[in-house]
Amino acid sequence: MELLKKIMMDKLAAISLSIVAVTIVVGIFAPLFAPHDPYEVHMELRYASPSWEYLLGNDHLGRCVLSRLIYGIRPSVLWVLAALALSVGIGAILGFIAGYFRGKTDAILMRICDVMLSFPGYVMTLALIGVLGVGFENILLAFILSKWAWFARVIRTAVMQYAESEYVKYAKAIGVSNMKIMVKHIVPVSFSDIVVVASSSFGAMILQISGFSFLGLGIQAPHAEWGMMLNEAREVMFSRPELMLAPGLTIIIVVMALNFVSDALQVALDPKLMSSQNKSYRNATTSAGKLQGKEVA
Amino acid sequence: MGLYIVRKVCLTVPLLMVISFLTFILNNLSPMDPAEVVLQAQGVPVITDELIAQTRAELGMDQPFLIRYFQWLMACLQLDFGDSYITGEPVWSLLGPAFLNTLKLTLVSIIVIIGLSIALGVICALKEGGLLDKSVRGVSFFLTAMPSYLLAGLMTWYFSVKLDLLPTSGMDSYRSYLLPVTVIAVSYVGIYFRIVRSSMLSNLNEDYVLYGRACGLPEKTITLHILRNSLQVAISVFGMAIPVLLGSTVVVESVFAWPGLGTLSVKSILSRDFPMIQAYVLILAVAFVLFNTFSDMMNAALNPKLRKDL
Amino acid sequence: MTGRMVVWMIVLLGSVGLLASCGGDQAGNTGAADQDQELVYATAKDTNDMNPHFYAGSMPAQGMVYESLVENTEDGIKPLLAESWEISEDGKVYTFHLRQDVQFHDGEPFNAEAVKKNIEAVQSNASTHSWIKLSTKIVSCNVIDAYTIELVLSEPYYPTLLELSMTRPYVFLSPKDFVNGETKDGVNGYNGTGPFKLAEQKVDQYAIFEANETYWGGAPSLKKITAKVLPAGETTYLALQKGEVNFLFTDDRGTDSLDVEAMNKLVESGEFQLVRSKPMNTKMIVANSSKLDSPVHETAVREAIWHAVDRETISQQIYNGTETAADTLFSSNVNYANVDLMKRSYDLETAKQILDEAGWVLDNGDAIRTKNGNKLAMKLYYDTHSSSQKTQAEFLQHAWKSIGMEVTLIGEESTSIANRRSTGEYDLLFNQTWGLAYDPQSTVAAFSSTSSYYHTTSGIEKADELYKKIEQVMVSQDEETRKSLYADIINIVHEEAVFIPITNGSVTVIASADLQGISFKQTQFELPFERMQFE
Repeated sequence: MELLKKIMMDKLAAISLSIVAVTIVVGIFAPLFAPHDPYEVHMELRYASPSWEYLLGNDHLGRCVLSRLIYGIRPSVLWVLAALALSVGIGAILGFIAGYFRGKTDAILMRICDVMLSFPGYVMTLALIGVLGVGFENILLAFILSKWAWFARVIRTAVMQYAESEYVKYAKAIGVSNMKIMVKHIVPVSFSDIVVVASSSFGAMILQISGFSFLGLGIQAPHAEWGMMLNEAREVMFSRPELMLAPGLTIIIVVMALNFVSDALQVALDPKLMSSQNKSYRNATTSAGKLQGKEVA
Repeated sequence: MGLYIVRKVCLTVPLLMVISFLTFILNNLSPMDPAEVVLQAQGVPVITDELIAQTRAELGMDQPFLIRYFQWLMACLQLDFGDSYITGEPVWSLLGPAFLNTLKLTLVSIIVIIGLSIALGVICALKEGGLLDKSVRGVSFFLTAMPSYLLAGLMTWYFSVKLDLLPTSGMDSYRSYLLPVTVIAVSYVGIYFRIVRSSMLSNLNEDYVLYGRACGLPEKTITLHILRNSLQVAISVFGMAIPVLLGSTVVVESVFAWPGLGTLSVKSILSRDFPMIQAYVLILAVAFVLFNTFSDMMNAALNPKLRKDL
Repeated sequence: MTGRMVVWMIVLLGSVGLLASCGGDQAGNTGAADQDQELVYATAKDTNDMNPHFYAGSMPAQGMVYESLVENTEDGIKPLLAESWEISEDGKVYTFHLRQDVQFHDGEPFNAEAVKKNIEAVQSNASTHSWIKLSTKIVSCNVIDAYTIELVLSEPYYPTLLELSMTRPYVFLSPKDFVNGETKDGVNGYNGTGPFKLAEQKVDQYAIFEANETYWGGAPSLKKITAKVLPAGETTYLALQKGEVNFLFTDDRGTDSLDVEAMNKLVESGEFQLVRSKPMNTKMIVANSSKLDSPVHETAVREAIWHAVDRETISQQIYNGTETAADTLFSSNVNYANVDLMKRSYDLETAKQILDEAGWVLDNGDAIRTKNGNKLAMKLYYDTHSSSQKTQAEFLQHAWKSIGMEVTLIGEESTSIANRRSTGEYDLLFNQTWGLAYDPQSTVAAFSSTSSYYHTTSGIEKADELYKKIEQVMVSQDEETRKSLYADIINIVHEEAVFIPITNGSVTVIASADLQGISFKQTQFELPFERMQFE
């Protein structure tokens, strides 16, 4: 709650956070918010302009653009969030194990990470959809497979710092079990690192997913997804440019909001971000690590 | 330094082996039976089980898995990745030129990204909080949140159609580079210039700056010192950007019809051309590892502290 | 420190320089398609292998470079490389008298010897050409004199001249380009006899054709034709607006690279003209009757699908009225296709009733019908480059859903879809009949060909009867028998509803307004570029 307060102090961050929150809520309860069935075809309304009934107009099949935008939150944001959570989860567990126990376990896990990280994210995704076929699930699977490794890396580094801290050493010395130390002393403190790392790649992942849908490799018709809506709008980009507006702006706003929140989180959680001495090199290398997750869509 | 290189290379070789093995497994997961594909390509009217078995034997597919892997690996080392299922041409004859095209695009983009990031990062750091700093950061925030295909579409529309300055697509002359390179650069400069900026800023707070000022060194000299120290950080980051970029030009290539790996890979996936996909994955993964190793070495050369940190 | 940085930069710059120097200079063929009789057309697919005895290459490109013995025109078969011909009494021997003033692009003379070599090269790779029944009938090809050649068939085969007129494979490549006397393992060059010759080809970028100044029919007015590879949709549109491209046409798989509205917009600007051929083919959905694990193998399901296609709306809304609704596989103006068939009109209630009767029932609360625990679910494949196919697919998907049918849409490259058609790995896919020059004989022959519609037809009850009749009609000498056999064939596939017609398609050309002489051939696969010129 302390954290939330801190973020709320920053106006921009507060607005961003509420945008993200609203998006997620609207996405989860899409049927309540969407004015129409997003799949209902009305050929007579093909490319109709906005009206009171259809606030954002209709697409190439006369479907309600607003409703599709709302339903599109599910694949474009919620499923990405789920995939992110899963890969962070895997990464966190392995990162904890590697960072806490060190030694052989660590070495083996890190070599596996090396291998996973040597397939650039895009290549891994293309490889998987190449073999398993085009589809949204396959892209999510590829995301999880290609992202967990660097989450594990980053989290391991964080855990290592804490594992060497005095109070953990003390706890070990008085014979507290490993499990207990991890749960009680390491998870809470490294949680903030995990949140920062995860949130910083959320926006990029949304852009990537929409990029794949845009290429026709992601979600398949008739499901609504922002990247696909943009692709459909692109086909009539010159006769009806206004169709690009809604999905395009939605993506930009949501991703911007996410990036703001992520930055705010980072500052809120690590107030000494800028002031610490001799940390510059380290900072840069960790941000270099982060870049792996920031392949831009 | 020599020892470091040796150790690094020793680590890279097994990594490459594992990668190639994974790629090989990947191909074996594909739902199409290569024997059947070969027969279809030959236009055999009726494909019997007998014929498939015979073809499998001809292709050496009845051999144990590991033996097949090594045979395949040997072939790959000679750039023999098999024939495309679709055109029947050797995969390398299609992938090779595409790889070169992507590499060109990537390298040009990287140079632009480095130049712009350093310039913007330094200026913004020196004028921290100023109007320029704020507006550059604002714009970069907006642009990094923009899907690159949207940006690409808008830019083509404006520069190619409205102003009629640049070609819309293809790879005909140096002018063809401008739009795709800009789109790629815009996406990345937003991230990288912030790294340069923040490392500049953290250097500004260092003791030596204070000391320098206290000693009455001219501001110019101090700035140069800061620049030098911050760039060291930036360079290590840039080194990692090349391989990342190499694999992520897919969308931009598709939009601009750039005849590179990205366009080719998407086409291969949509036409289920498995040998192409396999070779694409292998080549990019290997390139990625090699570039990474190379940039690690560069960094180690720049910062001896890193050498023991292997 | 800075010194090392410089090293870094030099490494980078050096590698770029190196790369740029090895092949960066393609300037010159850039930019605007000039008015100096230079035509640049956009194509979504690479021109590919120009070997005319194979099927990978782009047909419009092959049509410019190679020629056949005879030509299929609106008024029937006309002379082309053969000036005249005779057919023996028993219909088994065709004697062709060749033009004597024809040269291949490399200067080699076109004569009986060259014809023999080409036909034998095609025949030696018979399995590839099995779809074209003539390839199974040719017994020998004999040189009578320097400019006379004789084709001997095993039995009379009425579409012989039609099949000889096709864009491939019976067209002629300079024997100098053969490898070991064959063409099936690749060729050394692409020298045909046509009005244009291939000058340069760059994979996935462009192919350049230059006028054949010594063309026997007179040098063409257009001096240069460039086929530029561009992704369909807005990239093509932009290129057209900018003048990088000045010609567009429906590609050989029936796909327009622009949607109707964009085309209209171009025409409104006054800089472009739109020319549409008369209806050439039927666009349809092909159902795989032999896929036993899919509901689509049941006739009732296919009939229901047919009844649930709202052709009028597709024609009016999606095609803006540019294509007309089609109720039968072949429109009645196609030879032998004026057959009375029961019309299956758009009627969702009938569709539901058919499904109910066939045992596909909707359980309470379900959206999808089931039968013995199996869901009424299928997959429909469409060409990702065709926006009209995608729109139709989505539109139909919605209609089918309302009758309790779940259809998943999958967009793939057209090559992959062709591949699926020949391997039978599909439930439903978009396709089109082959056009006036090929309908009905080639399309019908393809019903039984594994590389085409074998999987579509082999699952129907009367498959054997169908194949027998197809065999018969091709060799029948009597016009009346032929008519009745075709009627039977068309009836069988209509009853079984394996080819579900949607609209009658035509070839659309968008070109700069000053291009004259745009016309069409009897096939949707090529265009007579030699007749066009800029004013």
